Amino acid sequence: MKTSSKYLVIAALLLSSIANKTTAQDSTQTEKNQKILMALPGNTKMLLTGVAWFGFHANMNDTIKTNVKNSFNTYGFSPMFLWKLSDKMFFESEIEINNGEMELEYAKISYKLNKFMTVGAGRMLTPFGAYGERWEPVHIEKFPNSHLRPNDDLLPDDTHLYWGAIMGIDVRGGIPLGSAKMNYSMFVSNGPLLSKDENGRPTGVVQYENLLDENNNNKEVGGRIGILPFSNSSLEIGFSGKHGLAGDIGDTVYENIGATATAVDFSYLKSIEAIKSTISFRGQYNTLTVDKANYYLTDSTTYTFDNTMKNYYAQFSIRPSMAHGKCIKKTELMFRYSSMALPKDAIWCPKDKNGKGGIITRMDIGLCYWLNWRSGLRFAYEITTMPDGTKQNQLLALLAVGL
Amino acid sequence: MKKITLLFIPIAAVISVAITLNGCVASQTVTAKSGTQLWGENCGRCHNSPSSSDFSGAQWEVIGTHMKLRANLTEDETNKIIAFFKSAQ
Ligand code: HEC
Repeated sequence: MKTSSKYLVIAALLLSSIANKTTAQDSTQTEKNQKILMALPGNTKMLLTGVAWFGFHANMNDTIKTNVKNSFNTYGFSPMFLWKLSDKMFFESEIEINNGEMELEYAKISYKLNKFMTVGAGRMLTPFGAYGERWEPVHIEKFPNSHLRPNDDLLPDDTHLYWGAIMGIDVRGGIPLGSAKMNYSMFVSNGPLLSKDENGRPTGVVQYENLLDENNNNKEVGGRIGILPFSNSSLEIGFSGKHGLAGDIGDTVYENIGATATAVDFSYLKSIEAIKSTISFRGQYNTLTVDKANYYLTDSTTYTFDNTMKNYYAQFSIRPSMAHGKCIKKTELMFRYSSMALPKDAIWCPKDKNGKGGIITRMDIGLCYWLNWRSGLRFAYEITTMPDGTKQNQLLALLAVGL
Repeated sequence: MKKITLLFIPIAAVISVAITLNGCVASQTVTAKSGTQLWGENCGRCHNSPSSSDFSGAQWEVIGTHMKLRANLTEDETNKIIAFFKSAQ
């Protein structure tokens, strides 16, 4: 449509909405006008939002005296672009600029098929568990950092998150069930890949960051079902699963090696008048099992192991949101425990003092001072224990500002 | 097996605490609730709840659709919450 005719339509609509102001059909007429206006190019509804952050960490038990013990270690900015293109069509995208590195987190177009189902396509967060899609964004996570996850710096270089972003399509929706509710998401995407050592041989580690470089024709399939049993929606329990083949196409030995992941997540939120506080519990348990195969120990010897990784975290927080004190009601106290068990017989699993693979655990106590609903100054004291008993104690601080 | 059992202890604990705390709340069908109530019950589940003055009416429509998709809210509750935000402007 030409610009001049576009202005004419807008003027006509504005006039008609003014003329109709006093009639009983007010709202329906305005709604109609809004619909027509939204159909015109340049009149779609758009929101630019996002988050910025700046952080500090101090190593509290560094035995190597020459190491730098503390630093301002993180900064970043994530603009988020949202377009409601029509009643049925929606586009969302986020660019993350973390410590100077830029990445397109997601860019997803969604189309509403009916009340209970929307189909989406593009690069999106994996609908697996609740942490990645729902609790990880910097302005939502209450702690200065994430819990112990398969991409932590302490783990072998190429153990990766298995619920980052995916390239694919999904369907999702929410369904009322009387006094309860349920929701679902199901996806098909490019799948995982077996990581390789410097000689190009798989190690048994599976990575999920090959968003565009698909290595076989199999597609990963998965999803999550969430159940909210109480009518006040205070409790949600989610069950997730996904499966895909990780081997390269044409690789006779590893082609059919599959990776299956499962997760159970829960969240509970309740305001309790008697203690003038809001309490929140959150947690997620994940497993990743890779089919058994022989991997190289040396050039000539191979070995096999039970290739299952298990990790979980649970978090509790309390905020005196109904207290009278101005400062106290903005303060939230948090506790978090995370545990990570890599396949204990894999050569890349961190070992205990007897050379056996063991579990890494992490405990955090934290405090968040909320500046508004999505900006806060957060602190945490964190103790990580490696399987051999060595401990790493850290003090973390982060200022997150919702934009 | 032992670890799986250990995992179910906190989950079972949360569910039992939740059931006890919810015991006194009369069960009401979700569809019968007002936009204000649905806002109070849903918008603070993942992050602190924003208030109606944080965004304009048109922005609430965009946010409502975004949250419906991200949080898998039902269509009816989303529409009621958006209408509440717009009327409270
Ligand atoms: C199941 C979790 C969940 C629930 C429930 C939820 N949100 Fe969100 N909300 C999110 C996440 C996750 C983001 C951040 C999106 C991102 O950064 O990718 C967000 C972001 C937002 C934002 C920032 C702008 C935007 O759209 O991203 C607003 C405003 C917001 N939510 C409002 C609401 C309102 C109002 C409700 C109640 C109807 C609500 N939220 C319920 C998870 C949730």
